[in-house]
Amino acid sequence: MRVRTHEVVMAVLTMTLIATGGLVLAASAPPAAPSTDTSRLVSIQTMPLSSPDMCAWVDPAELTAFSSQIDEASPDQTEDALAAFRRGRPGAFLMASLGAPNILTSLQQGNLYAALQQLTSAGSSPLTALRTIRDTHPTYSAVAVDVNANEIILQDNNLWSYRVFNRQDNTPAGVELTPPKRLVQGDKTALQFNNGLYVDPKNGDIYSVESDTGDKMVVFPHEADGNVAPKRILNTPHRVYNIAVDETRSELFVTVEYPPEVVVYSKDAGGDTQPLRRIQGDATGLDAPHGIAVDEKNRLLYVTTWGHHSNFRIPGTGRFFPPAIKVYSLDARGDSAPLRVITGDRTQLNWPAAIKLNPDTGDLYVANDINQSVLVFRNAATAQGNVAPVRVIKGDKTRLRNPTGVALDLKNQEVWVSNLGNASATVYPLMANGNVAPLRVVRSAPDGKRSLNFGRTAAVAYDSRREQLLVPN
Amino acid sequence: MHDLAYDAIHDEIVVTSPLTQAILTFRGGADGEEAPIRVIQGPKTGIQGVGATGKVAIDPDNNVIMLATPAPRNEILFFAREANGDVAPIRKIGGPDTMLDNGSQREGGGNVPAMRVDPIHNLLLIPTLGQRGSNGSGGRVLIFDRNASGNVKPKAIITGPVRTGNQFEVYGPNRLLIAHNRDALELWRIPESGESSEPPLRIPAPLGRNSADTGIALDPAHKEVIIATAAGNTIMTFSVPEVFATAPSTR
Repeated sequence: MRVRTHEVVMAVLTMTLIATGGLVLAASAPPAAPSTDTSRLVSIQTMPLSSPDMCAWVDPAELTAFSSQIDEASPDQTEDALAAFRRGRPGAFLMASLGAPNILTSLQQGNLYAALQQLTSAGSSPLTALRTIRDTHPTYSAVAVDVNANEIILQDNNLWSYRVFNRQDNTPAGVELTPPKRLVQGDKTALQFNNGLYVDPKNGDIYSVESDTGDKMVVFPHEADGNVAPKRILNTPHRVYNIAVDETRSELFVTVEYPPEVVVYSKDAGGDTQPLRRIQGDATGLDAPHGIAVDEKNRLLYVTTWGHHSNFRIPGTGRFFPPAIKVYSLDARGDSAPLRVITGDRTQLNWPAAIKLNPDTGDLYVANDINQSVLVFRNAATAQGNVAPVRVIKGDKTRLRNPTGVALDLKNQEVWVSNLGNASATVYPLMANGNVAPLRVVRSAPDGKRSLNFGRTAAVAYDSRREQLLVPN
Repeated sequence: MHDLAYDAIHDEIVVTSPLTQAILTFRGGADGEEAPIRVIQGPKTGIQGVGATGKVAIDPDNNVIMLATPAPRNEILFFAREANGDVAPIRKIGGPDTMLDNGSQREGGGNVPAMRVDPIHNLLLIPTLGQRGSNGSGGRVLIFDRNASGNVKPKAIITGPVRTGNQFEVYGPNRLLIAHNRDALELWRIPESGESSEPPLRIPAPLGRNSADTGIALDPAHKEVIIATAAGNTIMTFSVPEVFATAPSTR
């Protein structure tokens, strides 16, 4: 037979206080306390029907254990009481409380809150988590290739690091992971929620931007390793996602998710340097911009948008638009409308993230996160409307999982992809199409890993029906 | 996203889409790229802001979804749970007597406080932010009748300062407001009337790595408190029967 916990607690309280009432009252009750019949000290109270406590159960053996403990009481048992309480042992809790007069007085007065205050004010050891959900592997949000050093750099926005690997690393099956040749991580680095990555083709400097809490672009020298401070920090707007550079004019472009804009800085900007110009306003169509690519040859700028639109100053202006690639003049400023828009169901765009342009062919590569694909659009400088990609890398052989970063290695004719969802980077021939296996895989977790994809877990809810945690990003 | 709600009565998940000023409701068992079953969005809704739409609360007993608006409006909007499309709120709390101070938007940033309902005592708890700082330097908690409307005075106030992080929770049977603050769970007693300056009961619950920016949920059946920490990308579950304990009655 099993009985409900609260009934047991009440019954135990009643029995205890009846059994020990005379002694305890003589020792701890204030003189002015009214004389009462011991049977009225505690009563069994009907709990609200909605109390989830009603569903908790306790084994009757607890009562037996409690009975045996009555004869074993010791003085000053506050800590024991708290420990017993936390272990869900009402009998032991009561017994320990007998040695703590203030707690017992509070209980006699029906004031559990005061009793607990007595317990905790006595100094309790910290709680330790029963369970912890945390991804101990990196979550790769972006990738860059340093063709001069023959290296790839992977941006990790879970553990707030970036990791450098040899370009030809390939994690064999059965091997847990490939260790990086350099790891930049730690409080000195100022890396946090880092999403965008750029490698200077001239000197190998590594640029990193981030999306939420730090509002900084940090720049490290090529050889940086360990917990090191960046060589330069630029204070940026809130919610920067990605970065691109016009090397011809030494201008640096970043997308800002909201309020949406593209902000242009001098490439060597640092500190509180103000932007050279900004693209922002209702005409721009920058509805949650993410990826960005520069076309120096055609003087164009490509931006992927998710279609989330509103003016935060005006109530009720929110809208959902389809995801798109929007094309601007590289010299655009202010409230400039896009020159062309690539959008529609044929495009397959779905949370398009990073993009890269092959200036030799005009092909635009898109890391297409939710669609688990890499899309390639031909003639990006002129494409518009509801156009289908000329090539799509997608399928079970590709090992793509939430691809959000893409980089082109034109020297070796390869396209690199960072997979947010499985702690890996995969590389394909530049002209790959369809369900193709990667040429190589750099894994930072065991094969088959599914990342938690936690990205700033600022809230949580509990699904009591399914006994599941709901965790938004 | 700084808040969400699970409605166990109707088996639904309620979230906001801050960048689109929308409230989305999904099936409780929704999975993958699944469309919401209802969307509240449009000019009639009066939904405003970005950070301001990061928090949402539900009152499943009364079939209501609640959302705050930033200063200077300082309102609480109540939508019918089954509302869909461009619909007006069914009622509002707002006005000088309410003492609401939801905080300002700053170029799309700035978060309003979370709100929670005590279904046992018919209460709606709303922390104030405003000049006390967003998300955490602490403010008062205003306590209203959950069916209140218009320019009403709060029934009671916890003077605090209460730091509620992104979320706080209410355990109605014990009249407790529970929040995680500075590596400890804080249990504040919810007063019946007047202003309460009673300090919280603090239970040390360190989160380790990067404990800032937290959310919280309760699992009363297992007597557990779940803490999300944004900076640590971590969810931790603690056994805390103190929160769910049942007090004996002297009557």
